[in-house]
Order: sequence, then C-alpha cells, then structure tokens
Amino acid sequence: MLQAEDIHFCIRQRPIVKKASISVNPGEILAVLGPNGAGKSTLFKILAGEISCTRGQVDYNGQNLRALKTQQLASVRAVMPQHSTVSFPFTAREVVELGLPKDSKKNSEKNIREVMELTKVVHLEDRLYQQLSGGEKQRVQLARVLIQIWEKKPFPRYLLLDEPTSSLDISQQHIVLDILKKLKSQNIGVLIVLHDLNLAAHYADRIAIVKDGLIAGVGKVEEVYSESLLSEVFDHPIRLVKDQETQQILVSSNSAFHSELKISKQAQA
Amino acid sequence: MIAGLSISKDSYQALVLSALGIALILIMLLSLSLGAYAIPFSSVLAILGEQFGLSLEGVDRSAANVLLQIRLPRIIIALLIGGGLGIAGAALQGLFRNPLVEPGLIGVSSGSALFAVVFIVLIPGLAGSSNLIQNLGMPLFAFLGGLTHVWAVYQLARTQGRTDTATLILAGVAINALAGALIGLTLFFADDSALRSFTFWSLGDLGASSWSKFPVAISLIGIPSIMLMLEYRNLNALSLGEREAFHMGISVQRVKIKILILSALIVGVGVSLAGMIGFVGLVVPHLIRIGFGANHRLVLPASFLLGAILLNVADLMARTVVSPAELPIGVLTALIGAPFFIYLIFKLNKINS
Repeated sequence: MLQAEDIHFCIRQRPIVKKASISVNPGEILAVLGPNGAGKSTLFKILAGEISCTRGQVDYNGQNLRALKTQQLASVRAVMPQHSTVSFPFTAREVVELGLPKDSKKNSEKNIREVMELTKVVHLEDRLYQQLSGGEKQRVQLARVLIQIWEKKPFPRYLLLDEPTSSLDISQQHIVLDILKKLKSQNIGVLIVLHDLNLAAHYADRIAIVKDGLIAGVGKVEEVYSESLLSEVFDHPIRLVKDQETQQILVSSNSAFHSELKISKQAQA
Repeated sequence: MIAGLSISKDSYQALVLSALGIALILIMLLSLSLGAYAIPFSSVLAILGEQFGLSLEGVDRSAANVLLQIRLPRIIIALLIGGGLGIAGAALQGLFRNPLVEPGLIGVSSGSALFAVVFIVLIPGLAGSSNLIQNLGMPLFAFLGGLTHVWAVYQLARTQGRTDTATLILAGVAINALAGALIGLTLFFADDSALRSFTFWSLGDLGASSWSKFPVAISLIGIPSIMLMLEYRNLNALSLGEREAFHMGISVQRVKIKILILSALIVGVGVSLAGMIGFVGLVVPHLIRIGFGANHRLVLPASFLLGAILLNVADLMARTVVSPAELPIGVLTALIGAPFFIYLIFKLNKINS
C-alpha cells in the first residue's frame, strides 16, 4: 500500500498541505480532485518523493520514503508528468526504452512489446517522438513510465499521474484511462490527479477531494460525490444527475442552475 | 532512425563506430604523409612498420624524425583534443537539454583560457621552471576556470529545470567578452614568452604539440572521455528532463556534477594544450544525431571519433593550405562551424514556431 499519513508542507510559513492522509491500494485507481491551488500538485510531489514533507510520513509498502534510495523508489513507483518534452530526436521506441529499469536485461524485449501493445503505440515505434500528435506522445510517455514498473515483482508497484489527460481530446482521454484500468491485474496501484469530475466518476475506484491543503473527502464515488460537497469545494454550483442509460452519476455545472442556487443560498441566509 | 535495416541495435552501433574508426585511421595516415615536408605514403607505412619491429629498407632518417617526433604527436594530440571537444559537446548538450550548447559558445573554453593565462602570470619565471608545474599545473588551473564558468552559466540559464536558450547564449557572450578582454589585458601587461600569443589562445594552435604533452592529454582527456561514455544511460534519462530522470531512479544532482566536472576537465585541458578551438563540440554531436539517432550510447563514442576526425582534417588543412606557413586552426573550425550554427538557429526557430 502507498500510504501518506498526516503530511504537512509549508512554503515560507504558509501551509500548502495540512495534515493530509491518503492511501492507494494495489489494484485500484484513486483519483485526486480539487480546485486549482488546493495543494494537489504539492501533495503529488510529496508522494512522488520530489519534495519531502515538513511533517508526517509517506510509506511505500510499509517502507518509509525517506529510507528508500532514488533507485529503489523507482522500482516501486513510476511517475507520469503532465506533459514531457524530449529534447533530442529519439524515436518512439527509444523513448519507451529510456524507462527500462537498469537491471532488466532478461525480459526487456518482451516487456517493451507488452507495454507498447497495451498503450497502442507499436505502429509508431520508428517514428520520431517530436513528430507525434499530442495523444500519441502521451501514450508513448505512458508506455515509457509503465515499463519502469511492468516487471512482476513480489511487491505491489504504484503509478502516479499528474493530469495526464489535460491536453487531450475526449476520445484520447478515454483511451488513456482505459489503459490504466487494465493495470489492476498487474498488481499496480494508480493515483491520478484529474480535473474532469465525470472522467473521475467513470474510472476511479475511490476518489479523494482536496481543498485548501486538506482532504475534504475520500471514498467511493457515491460516498463522496454530493452536490453540497462538490459545490462547496469547487466554489461553483454543481448538480448530480443520473444517466438514464448507464445509471452512472453525471456531474453538471451549467450556469442556468447557478443563479438558482445563489438565490436559494441568499434565502437561507 | 534505423527503420528498414534488420540488424540489431548492438551490431548497428558496432558498425557505425568501426566505420568512424577506420575513417579516423585513414585521415591520420593521410595527415602523416602530407605537409610542408611531404613524405610519400609508402615511406609513412615503412616508418610506422619499423616502430612495430618490421625492418624495411630505404627508411629516410630525416623523414622518420619529422614523422615520429613532429607529426605523430601532433596528430595524436589533435585526436584527443578533437575527440574530447566532440564528446564534451555531446555531454553538455545532453545535460543542458539544449542542442545549441557548445564549450566555446557558452564560455567554458574562454574561462579555461583565462585561468591558464592567469596561472602563467601568477607563477613567475615559469618558462624555465619545473616541467611538472607547467605540464600539470596549467591544465588543472584551466580546468578550474572551465568548471567555474560552466557552473556559472548553468546556474544563470536554468529556470525550472530547463535551460533557456537565449539566456544561455547571452550568458556565454558576456562571459566570452569578459574573459577575452581579461586575457588580452593580461597578455598586454605580462611580457612573458610563456604566455604565447593572443592568437594562440583565441584561435587555437596544435603546433606546440609534442610527446611531452602526451601523458597529460591521454590521462586528463582520454580517461575522462571514456568515463563520459559510461554516462550514456543517465544522459538519455536527462533528455526527458531532470524531474523525469529523478522519477526514473537517477540521482540527478550527482550525475550533473559528474558530467560538468568531466566536461570541464576535457575542455580545460584541451585549451591549455592548444588554445581555444571553437565549434567542434557544436557541429559533431549534431551530425551524429542526424545520421545515427539520439541515443547517447552511440552519440557519445561516435562524437569522440568524429571530433577526432574533424580536428585532424582541420589541422591538415591548416598545415597545408598556406604551406609552409600555417593557418590558426580555429579559423578553419569557425569557417565550418559558424554557418552551421546559424543554420541551427533557423531550424530551431522553425520547430518552435
């Protein structure tokens, strides 16, 4: 399990993350939601080991993050940033190979094949990365990140993704999240920062909502998604409706409803 | 890059490197034969053969002397300096994540030259003094100068884990101007024959190469170059970005310092031996990447070989074009390199727009 307990982080005495506790189980997708400036990125960086928290601690499979060497950490968790640039003319396959762990000689060919098939980039392998479309780049990066933790190990691994879909169109967003769903059988736990509430509701097993450096709510979609909590957290009126066909929760944030809610708020006051 | 060729990556790499190696040997043989004192190719082979115990008739002693005592050390020093500039350029480009980086342009070379000149002034009466001080002290001092400058430029140009090209080049321009002025000033006031000329420092000269410089060159350029080649995995990871490299399990800070030190050592020692020779470190890694792909596992050793080839070609031209006089070698490398640099700026602008 990836577990963060009571973590706290300040920049110039100003707390960015306060007493946040969060955990990711192997085989689940945890989506982290929250408005801009809520502390999601800082929380993400603490979990990834880029910065260390002022207080509290982060454990990977029961081992304290601080006690892990950079390379040990890399065998337990991989990180997918929002968008990555590659500064030299590498081919797509070469970019994927960059992610290979240092000690993987034996199965590397098979593993490369598997992740490239999973992320549907096999046909791109000889193309130059710099010439790919946004969606293709993101999938190549996903393959590069996955190869790092693909090899089956006696311990679970974790994948952290920071808004990987923010620059993708709708179909590409679903392609990426569908790939993540398939990682459950690999004993990999996924933590993904998302902006799209519907996407999160559709794919995540659990959801954590961050507001002002605190975890405002965590649990299954139906436990966390409430109109009052979401409206409060995002400071915008949000309505939940059920899709007639799939019975899934849909999040609506249209402005016609906006004025209505404002009025009712005033009435309450 | 290797689409269509059904050979493994390892054999592709071996193929490219041996082709470059053969080209290097050929250019070295040609270089041994040509010059103010022409030595026929057959004699070159005979003289070299004699060194390996083959006794052949008709070896001209004076030709053998020119070849073994003047040309051969010069060619080998050119090999090491050119190779060093090529690989240091490749490594610095990888580290800065910027294809416009070059030891000369960003001020490493001029920093080294400045420190070398200052060293000579600070240690009085050096011309006649112990060879150890001169042979080892000056290169190491030049290395310190290069390291200081590359570190300063790196800190200046880096914002959020990336280097900004404009700042990088501007910082280089400023440092080059300052170091150039200080070198000129030092040379003007210190009337010491050991200082050599301003041309030597600013445009380079391999003419002073001799076997006495070989130990320093092989140990302080050759060995660091091999150490840089072993950094290919880290440099590959760094081309995704520093954050990404850390995520992939690389101790970024340690790797950065190591690469900066090795590159500064190679460039600094090269400058102390032959002055500033520009653009080799810019052009060579580019040609390699265009031709054979961006994987540093190949780019680093191939840049060494191509750098060695290029500097030997340039030196051969410098020696023969206006024979018996010599052109400063930096003139030739700049003649090829500067237009190439302009072309790169155009190309990068196109990509960015």
